[in-house]
Amino acid sequence: MIIKELEKYRKFFTEYTELRIQENRNTRISLVKGDVMSNNRSSEGGVSARVYKDGSWGFASDPVISDEIVKKVINTATDNAVFLSSKQQDKKSELISRKASLSKDFTTTKPKKSQKEMIEFLKEIDDHIIEKYPDLTSRAITLAALDMEKTLITSDESYSYSMIPRCLVYLVLTLVKDGKPYDLFQSYGGFGQFEDNFDDPAVLFDGIRTQYEHLVNKADGIYAKAGMHDVIMDAELAGILAHEAIGHTTESDIVKGGSVAADYMNKKAASEIVNLVDFANEAFGQICPVPVFVDDEGTLAQDAVIIKDGVLQSYMNNKDTALYFGHELTGNARAYRFNDEPLVRMRNTAILPGTCKLEDMIASIEDGYYLMKSYNGQADSTSEFMFGVQLGYEIKNGKLGKAIKDTTISGVAFDVLKSVSMVSDDMSWDCSGMCGKKQPIPVGMGGPAIKCRVNIGGK
Amino acid sequence: MKNLAKYSLKVLQNAGAEKAVCYCSKSEMHELNVASGEISLFRTNFDTDITLIGMANDRKGSISINKADEKSIEAAAVQVMEMANSSNPDPANDIAEKQPHKNFSHGPQKPDLDKMYFRLSEFMDYAKKHYPKTIIEEINFSFNKQLSFYANSNNVYFEIEKGSYQFVVMFTTRDGQKTSSFNYAAHVSNDLNKPFSECSSIDRLIKQSSEQTVMHTIAGKFEGDVIFSPECLNNVIGSVFSYIRDYNMIKGSSVYKNKLDKQIASEKLTIHSNPLSEELASRYSITNDGYEAKNLTIIEKGVLKSFLLGLYGANKTGLRRAVNSGGCYIIEPGNTSFDEMIKSTKRGILLCRFSGGNPSDNGDFSGVAKNSYFIEDGEIKYPINETMITGNLVEMLMNIKQISKERENPGYQIYPWIKFGGVTISGK
Repeated sequence: MIIKELEKYRKFFTEYTELRIQENRNTRISLVKGDVMSNNRSSEGGVSARVYKDGSWGFASDPVISDEIVKKVINTATDNAVFLSSKQQDKKSELISRKASLSKDFTTTKPKKSQKEMIEFLKEIDDHIIEKYPDLTSRAITLAALDMEKTLITSDESYSYSMIPRCLVYLVLTLVKDGKPYDLFQSYGGFGQFEDNFDDPAVLFDGIRTQYEHLVNKADGIYAKAGMHDVIMDAELAGILAHEAIGHTTESDIVKGGSVAADYMNKKAASEIVNLVDFANEAFGQICPVPVFVDDEGTLAQDAVIIKDGVLQSYMNNKDTALYFGHELTGNARAYRFNDEPLVRMRNTAILPGTCKLEDMIASIEDGYYLMKSYNGQADSTSEFMFGVQLGYEIKNGKLGKAIKDTTISGVAFDVLKSVSMVSDDMSWDCSGMCGKKQPIPVGMGGPAIKCRVNIGGK
Repeated sequence: MKNLAKYSLKVLQNAGAEKAVCYCSKSEMHELNVASGEISLFRTNFDTDITLIGMANDRKGSISINKADEKSIEAAAVQVMEMANSSNPDPANDIAEKQPHKNFSHGPQKPDLDKMYFRLSEFMDYAKKHYPKTIIEEINFSFNKQLSFYANSNNVYFEIEKGSYQFVVMFTTRDGQKTSSFNYAAHVSNDLNKPFSECSSIDRLIKQSSEQTVMHTIAGKFEGDVIFSPECLNNVIGSVFSYIRDYNMIKGSSVYKNKLDKQIASEKLTIHSNPLSEELASRYSITNDGYEAKNLTIIEKGVLKSFLLGLYGANKTGLRRAVNSGGCYIIEPGNTSFDEMIKSTKRGILLCRFSGGNPSDNGDFSGVAKNSYFIEDGEIKYPINETMITGNLVEMLMNIKQISKERENPGYQIYPWIKFGGVTISGK
C-alpha cells in the first residue's frame, strides 16, 4: 500500500505542479512444456513531480519516498522547468483544468492466493492439455498480473488515489504438421486480480478446446490469396482497428505531429453506421477493462466520442493539446511507471455495436475471409495500418470454408471504415496487450464484427 | 551499493538459498524531449534495481525491487525463497560458475547538459532549414548512466560502470493535405562531437520523408527483389535469431533446432554478435546469466555456428551456451556498391521501413512496405504506399543476391543493405 496523503507537500509547489507516488507490482510465471521457466515478481515504485513554467515542463523522480526526497524531487522538477523556459522565447497561456477528487481501489475482496497456488493453477491447465490433446508438440502457459497503485495531487486542487489491477493467462499451443510448426495464441482474463479472474482452471477448458480445434484447422489450412477482399473482421480485429488505425491517428499529439486525422475533423471519416468511442471507465453499464477515473494530470476523465455516425468529432487530449486545439480536456494523459511523464494515451477504445447478425454478415459474402484473431498491429500517421492475423477462415458462397495460415492485412483506416457495410449487434473487449508509445501501457480495445474491404498479404 | 550485492547474497543464503544471485544497479537519466516540433520537457530520473534470484533443491524464484534499504532486501529474500519453494524442481536451473572478479567501465560518466541542449537546438534548426515541411514529432534525447554490481554464490563478482547518449527522433512530412508515413531514426554515442544531422542514417531518413508526401501504389502482384535498408534488417535478424534463442529451442518448434554447423543462409552472409566491439556505443560486458561476455560469430559464410542459448536453455536442450546474450550485431560487408545494387534490379522494392506481423514459427511473414520505393529497370522510380510484401525468412536467407559495401553504424549495430530475391510484392 502506497502513501495516500500528499497534502503536506503542497507547500513546496511554486508553479503548476503534479506530484505522484506510484507503485507497479508484477507477477509473471511461465510454464513451457510443463517446466517452470520463469517464476518472478517485481515491485517498482517511487515519487515523481512534473512542473510547468511558461510553456516548458520539468520532471524529476526518485525511488526513495521520504519528506526530504519528495521536496528534492519537486525542487529538481521546478529547476528543470525554469532551465528550459529560460532558453525558450515562446510564452504560453495558463493550462486549463477539470478538477477531480476520487479514490478507487479494485483490490480483490477474496482471500489472496499464494505463488504456489498460482503455479498449481497453471500446472492443472497444463495437465489438462497433455491429457486431452496429446498430439500437440508443445504448450506455453504464462500468468501475467499487474497492479498499478498511485496517488496524485496537483497544484490546481486535484486529488486521486487508484489501485487498478489486470491479470491474464496467455496460452500458446503448437502443432507440427508435415514437418512445419503452427502456433495459436489465446489470452484469458483481464481487469481484476488473479482471485477475481481465475477461481478454477476448469473455466478455461472450453476456451482451450476451441483454441485446439482452430489450431488443427489452421495446420490443415490454406494460404489466403493476396489482394483486396471482402472480409468480416471479428470483434478482436475490429478492436485493434479502433485502437491502432483510428485511435493512434486521433491522439491529439499525433494530430499535432502531422497525422492525417487533422483533415477529417467534423467531416465524414467512416460509413455512417460506424461509431467509435474512447471510453474512460464505463461502457454499456459495465466497468471497462482499463478504467481511468482521473488521469495523471489530475483531470476528471470523460469519454472521448471520436466518430459519431461516421463523422470525426474529437481527438483525445491532454492539458497541452487541449490548450493548443482549444478543445475540452478528456482525461487521456497517462504515465506507466512512477518515473514516466504522462503522455496522450488511449484508455478503452471501441467501435460500437450495430444491428446485424454475424451469420447474416458471413452469408452476405460470396468470396472473402472471416478474420478472427490478430497477433499484433501497427498504424501510421497516414492511417495506413497493418495487423497480423493468426486465425481466419475463407468464406465461399456465404459459408465458412478452410482455415487460413498466418497472414497480414492492411489498408488505409479512413478508407476501410468508409467501406463498412454491416456491423454486428454484439461486442467484446480485449485488454491482453500493452500499447507502445515511448512507454508501454495497458489499454482496452473492443468492437463488434464488421464487414469491410481490406488488402490481404497472402500468396 | 558495492557492499549491497554481497549483503544481499548473504541474506538470500540465510533465507535458505543453495545458489544465489544478486544484481544491483543504480541509474540516472537526464532527458530532453521534443514534442510536435518544440523542446518541451527536461527530465531527471534516478532509479535503483535490486534483482534477487534464489535456488534450492533445483527450484528457482526471482524478484526485482527498486528499494535498496536492508529491510526491503531482507523481506524480498524471504519472499524469493518462498517463491522458489513453491515452484517445481528443474535440474536445468543453475548459476554461472566461478570466474575472476572484474571491473568494467565504458562511456562517459557525466552528462554535458549545455552541450545536449546545444546539439538538440542545432538539430531542430537544421531540420527546419533543410526540411521545412517535415514535422519533428518527437525526440527523446537522453544521457543514461548505470553503475551495476553482479554477484553470485559461486564467487562471481563484476562491477560495471556504463554511460551513453541516446537520440531517437520521429518525424512526418506534411505538404498541404498530403502526409508522408512517419519514420524514425536512432543513434547511440559516447560523445556529442558530431551534429546529429551527420550521425548514421538520420539525415538520409528525414530527406526520404520529405520526398514521400506523394506516393503511388504498385498495380497487381509479382515476385521480385527486395533491398532491405540497414534499419529494416532489424526485422529479419531479430526474427531469425528468435528461432535460436531459449524459448523456441526449448519449445522444440525452432526451424533451426538441428541446423548447427549447417548451411542456413547464402554463403555471402556472415553475422557476428560483438558486445566488446569498440565501434559500438551500446557494448556490454557481462551476459544476462553472469558470465563475462565474449564476441561471437553466429553465422559464418551462411553456416550456423552458434545458437543464442542462455545457461538455462543450454542445460535444457543439452546444447552449448552462447558466450554472450546476443545484440551488438555486425554483418560483414559485401562487394557490391549500393548504386550497383539498384542498377542491377529489374523489378523490386527498396524497403526502408517494414510494418509487419511477427513471422510464424515456420518463417512465413507478410507486412506493409513503408517509406519505401519502387525500383524498375535499375532505377528508383517513386515512393510507394499500400504495398505488401510476403515471403519466408528461412528461404529468404538462402536467397541473398547482393550485400552492399556500405554499412551504417548507429552505435548499436553495423548493417549493410541486403538484396533478397523471390519475395512476393502486391499492390492494390
